[in-house]
Formats: sequence, structure tokens, C-alpha cells
Amino acid sequence: MEEWRFIDFGLVDIRDMMAMDESILKADEGNTFFFWTPKKSIILGFFQKAEVELDLAQCKDYTITRRISGGGIAFSDDRCRQINYGVVGTIDNELFPMDIIASYKQICGVLIDTLGHYNLNAAFRPINDVVVDNRKISGNAQTRWEEKLLQNGTLLLDFDIEEMLRISNIPKEKFLDKKIASIREGLTWLDRELGEQRDMEEIKQVMKKKFEERFHVRLKSGYLSEKEKVLTHTLLPKYYSDEWVYR
Amino acid sequence: MFLNTAGANTMEIKTLQGIHKSKGGLIRSFVTVQNGKIKEISISGDFFLFPEEAFFRIVEEIKGIKAEREEVELKIKEIYERENIQSPGTLPSDFTESIMKALEG
Repeated sequence: MEEWRFIDFGLVDIRDMMAMDESILKADEGNTFFFWTPKKSIILGFFQKAEVELDLAQCKDYTITRRISGGGIAFSDDRCRQINYGVVGTIDNELFPMDIIASYKQICGVLIDTLGHYNLNAAFRPINDVVVDNRKISGNAQTRWEEKLLQNGTLLLDFDIEEMLRISNIPKEKFLDKKIASIREGLTWLDRELGEQRDMEEIKQVMKKKFEERFHVRLKSGYLSEKEKVLTHTLLPKYYSDEWVYR
Repeated sequence: MFLNTAGANTMEIKTLQGIHKSKGGLIRSFVTVQNGKIKEISISGDFFLFPEEAFFRIVEEIKGIKAEREEVELKIKEIYERENIQSPGTLPSDFTESIMKALEG
């Protein structure tokens, strides 16, 4: 059975993580699945403007950066109960389809299978969400580079909606056509769905196993290569710069 | 366009905001118009667009064109074709709609 690399970065500064994320996509060290948990932070989507999307006066104690993929804000409160993942894969029209939505669906299947393990009714909601009973529990964002794709996503274990609303400038139009009365009703998280807190490491093990099953591969623990470390080092200043974050 | 009441004969150019939601995300446009042409524009949103860098072509090339729906949509479509843009759930007409909502208030 084919082996792909697996890395668990643990609790990270999101600026460092986004530099490593980009380096894994661009260094060409083979298909990789990885986890991290962000410290208190906000990651802007590629096309978002900080001053438009955020109430910046309320964000002073957050680390803010931007990622290279589109989509919306990834917000992490200081509870740090989120599993974030990354997948880098070579587009092959089988495991990683060329069609964008099909490739989201394939990778989001790992989350759906994981939630199914906990007997939750999870489904893919195009373009890029995973929902439980029509409430978003996971947001995902993909970009492509040469023949490869990078998908990042989050599985919410716990989430402070009020805090997210406090720091955001979310216009009400966003949720109108989803016929959801408010953002509060449109989101959920695993602890709420299960009525208890499961151990994060246990959930990660389930996710890793579901990934192996879905992609028919064995995940082998590894590290960043020297090439990736060098590339990460050159990318770090970007993720720490105002020019990138507040452009 | 609004007359600036603070100074005689100075014209204040107001930045107008338009919000439109496509299936692929929310598009917020901020547009200033001068002499019937788009002078400045910025767009913020949670949509997806590949290749990402081509987005800057859209913003750059819309500047200077007539602030009319047909002109705006034609230009965006042209850039989509030339740059081979894919934006799942978001069409050139969605960007146009967001910009027109700003222009039409």
C-alpha cells in the first residue's frame, strides 16, 4: 500500500503555520496530510480585506494573517478546540479530481466519515462546507499550484459564536439565501452535537484512519524536509507583514 | 456625486458600497466614479477564484471603464476568458451585480 506523509504540528502560531502550509504545497515532497491547532487568531481569505471583514478595534489581542486560498475568515478563539487539517496532493482525476467541487467533496468526505463515526448526520454542502443537520461544522478552502492542490479546513470541536460576531463585520446578506435566520443557528460544533467533550487526540486518530480508508493509503509520520524548512523560512516574513495582511 | 458644502466649488467623490451574494460567496465592492467612469474600485469577499492572482487583473482593468452594466460585465468576461479563470459558484455577472449595486445605490 502506498505511503503518504503525515505531520501533526500541534498548537501553532498561525503565521508560522501558513508559511509551512505554503511550503508543503510548493516544495514538492509528495502527498501529505497534516494537522494543527491554531492559537487565538484570525486568518483572512485571499480576497478579503481586513478593514472590511473585521472590526479591527476588537481584534487587538488576535494574531491576524492571510492565507493563499480564497474563502472566508478562519477564526480561532482561546479555547483552542479546533482540529485544522491540510492536504497536499497531486491532481490525478481519481483521488484528487481536477474538477474543483469534486475535489472538495472527496477531501471533505474524510470529515463526513469522521462525523459518521460519532453517529452524526454529516453531509457535504457545496462549495466548501461540511454540515451536520444543515449546520456548518467545518469550513474548507482550496488552492492549486502547478499540478497540485492544497486544501485546508477546520473541524470545530467548540466555538464561541458571540466572540466571532464581536470581532467581525458580517453583513446579514450572507445567510439570507440559506434561509437561516441567523448566524447563530447556522453553525455547530462537535462538543455541542455530542453533548460531551471528546479527547482531541482521539478525534484526530479517527480522522487519520478515515483519511487512510478514503484514499487507500497508509499515513507515515514524518517531518518537514530541509527544502521545506528553507522555503518556510523565506515565506515567513510575508505572513508577518502588514503589506500581506492589511493589503 | 455630492457637492462638498465645506468648500466652494470642490467636488467630493463618494465611495459607494455594493454587496451581492453569489452561490460561491459574498462580494463586497467599493467604487468611486468620476465623470461617468470607474475611478477607484476595491473588492473584498469570501469567494474562491483560480488562479488567485488573476483577481488583481479584474480590479486593475475595471478602473477607467464606463460605469455601466454592459461595459463592466463585458470587461470581466473578457478577463475571465483571457486568464482562464474558474470561480466555483461565482460568475462574471455576480461581480458585475456587486459593482452595479454600489453604483446604483
